Amino acid sequence: MTQRIQIGAVFIIMHLSFGYVVYPNLIYRLTETAHWEIILCLGLLQLLLMWFYIKGLHYFPNNDVIDIHLKMGRWAAIVFLIPFVINLIALVSLNIRIHTEVIISIFLPRTPYWSILLLLFFVSVYTALKGLGTILRSSIFIFLFVIPLVLLNIFSSAINFNIHNVTPGLDLPPKFLLNMRFFYLLGFSSFLFLGFITSKTKLIFRHLFVAWVIVTLLLLLVVYIPLLVFGQETVITLTNPFLEAMDSIDISWFSFNRQAIFFGVLLVGLVILTNSVIFWMIGRVMQKVFAWDSSYWIIACSVIAFIIAIVVPNKYLLEKYFLWSSGAQAYFMISIPLTIFIYGFLSNRGVKVREK
Amino acid sequence: MRANIVKEIQSRFSDHYDDFFIEEELVEKTTIFLIGFNTLVDLAKSKLFVQQMADSSASVKALFKNLSDRINIDTEQLIQGILEGNLVIVSQDGKQNVVVDPIVKNLRSSISEPKNESPIQSSTDAFGDDINTNVGMIRKRLSTASLCHCSYQVGELEKRKISMLYIKGRTPKALIEKVNEQLKGINTDIETIDDLNLQFGKRRLSPVSHLSATELPIQAIHSLKENRIVLFLDNCPFALVFPNLIWDMLGGINDRNFPFILSFMLRFFRVIGLVATLILPALYVALVSVNPEVFKLDLALFVAKSREGIPLSAFLETIAMVVLVDLILEAIVRLPKSVGPAITMVGGIILGQAMVEAKLVSNLLVIVITAVVIASSAVIGMQNSLYIRLLKYPILILASLFGILGVCTGFIITIIYLASLTSNDVPYMTFRIKQEGETK
Repeated sequence: MTQRIQIGAVFIIMHLSFGYVVYPNLIYRLTETAHWEIILCLGLLQLLLMWFYIKGLHYFPNNDVIDIHLKMGRWAAIVFLIPFVINLIALVSLNIRIHTEVIISIFLPRTPYWSILLLLFFVSVYTALKGLGTILRSSIFIFLFVIPLVLLNIFSSAINFNIHNVTPGLDLPPKFLLNMRFFYLLGFSSFLFLGFITSKTKLIFRHLFVAWVIVTLLLLLVVYIPLLVFGQETVITLTNPFLEAMDSIDISWFSFNRQAIFFGVLLVGLVILTNSVIFWMIGRVMQKVFAWDSSYWIIACSVIAFIIAIVVPNKYLLEKYFLWSSGAQAYFMISIPLTIFIYGFLSNRGVKVREK
Repeated sequence: MRANIVKEIQSRFSDHYDDFFIEEELVEKTTIFLIGFNTLVDLAKSKLFVQQMADSSASVKALFKNLSDRINIDTEQLIQGILEGNLVIVSQDGKQNVVVDPIVKNLRSSISEPKNESPIQSSTDAFGDDINTNVGMIRKRLSTASLCHCSYQVGELEKRKISMLYIKGRTPKALIEKVNEQLKGINTDIETIDDLNLQFGKRRLSPVSHLSATELPIQAIHSLKENRIVLFLDNCPFALVFPNLIWDMLGGINDRNFPFILSFMLRFFRVIGLVATLILPALYVALVSVNPEVFKLDLALFVAKSREGIPLSAFLETIAMVVLVDLILEAIVRLPKSVGPAITMVGGIILGQAMVEAKLVSNLLVIVITAVVIASSAVIGMQNSLYIRLLKYPILILASLFGILGVCTGFIITIIYLASLTSNDVPYMTFRIKQEGETK
């Protein structure tokens, strides 16, 4: 039971981490009205893929994604998973860099970004080296530490809401489905880690559905808070709409000047845990595909990721690369669950035929 | 004419064993030798006891049989028996011998009140030095057939007694077997609790022990009922609960003598104490020196005013005060009870007034430091209080470098570090241990 709560916490934390920074900007660019349609469509698509993924994983009890790919053959594991790992390295480095930019703008405008990058990398790699158990256990405590801040942000921003900013609330037909950016957005979802923990625990779709509902609600809030505060025309010109929305709040009895500080603290908690999960996934794949201790792989890959994060020159390129990376991630999000589902389905039928 | 066996024992204890005695006694017209240490054996009373037994026995052989079951054993075992504080009796011809539990000199204090913990509204018995008394105290309070007891004698120089207690059918079998193996495998001397702690896996540089020490029988029994193992070390007035969990620091069984809502309140305050100890000094440094802009203007001005004219940087003044307070806490422990208050008074005056009036540290910092000292004492157990006092230093250093970002990263690193600790695969941050045979 505890472990399911832990997995749910990691699931929510990872989605929030990706959801807070670039996600709202993309949604504002996709449509001018009825943003909830996009979020809901994305959510349903994600739910469908998750269902395939979990169904596929259930065909192979006590095996994780890597084991299943190794069953198909070593070449399959290399062909399917190594590009995935390369993309994960890119994703982790760009993700930390994007968060660093936001964190610097909140806390330390005069500090060089490499020092904060170093700090965040160090903590993430340390957590990843300690293994899955540590990540899952600390996730609960980080969750308890982050969720009050999320709620504080939501409720304190309510004083600036103007309901007219989000009308009209309906937009038909949904043209955004044909836009490529919609699929980029899918890459912000991060349910693939679920397949890496199934060697010990069996996933139950019902529990994950609860986590999914919470994530979708939180993502709706992340998108709608800046919208309710500023309106579509302003929001599209801002670099960090959520941050600006937090900065606009002024509660007279509250002793802190900037609400954004809580948003920054929350981001730190989210980014550390998310990146440590990704590092751990990288280490896991590399260890199983090429026999070597996973801690060496984690350290090696983190050095590469750190160099990538440092050499990206400016924010424009950063966001561009991040979108490419999340687009590639969307591809893996579609291909890996379907591959596993189809392979599981076929091999399961094969077993049944042989039994007859 | 003394028998060979007596001579052999005598030669072993010839020089520099001034408390060693060999007494001759006449029983049934034959001589017997009483051998032992007069520092451990009450000779006069023991002699009387042997005489009385002799009166009711027909022969020396019958007497020996009546006295003890350990009859006619070899010399090495006899010597071991003497060292353990027993009385050894050898017959005149040396062919018969016996190791008797003598009437001992009372070297132990009796059951008293706890010295390191102060339970409210509960039984005030505490464990003592004698291992058998301690195990007896548990058996007396937990009269069930499923309470199991394994005893070990380990060590190189001296054989030290260790007892392991657990409840059969509750504590996981794998855990019991592992601890059993680890205790059997000890081949060094166990002098302190930390020596025993190191036997459960490498944690030499970790401030968190595998064992949680408690003086209170009710707490030890509660741990047993919570599917854990309780260890006793001879001459150590503590029950050592294995594994140590973070919950031990926050909630004890004594809290539950109050209604639920009150015990919840107590535990909640302990959580606040824990978090405040870790982050308050760091938060002061961060807010004063790195991120003053997060406060509202009037508050920011107030903070700036309190630091007006102070030459030290915020980090230096904080670290100086924190170290000073930790020194005071240590000094009070070392001093005899009659001198202790002097330190409290001098410390109070210097910290409270002189340093502020001399403009060496700010008013605000003194308040923060006071809060930290009080908060760090709110958690249960001295060792826990010590280790959270240690963990605040890394966060303080990170805060001086990165401000609020450093405080929050430091706090997260601390959480992750504590979450990474396990003892025999039981994580430190778990809330309970699964009962054996329980389904998920």
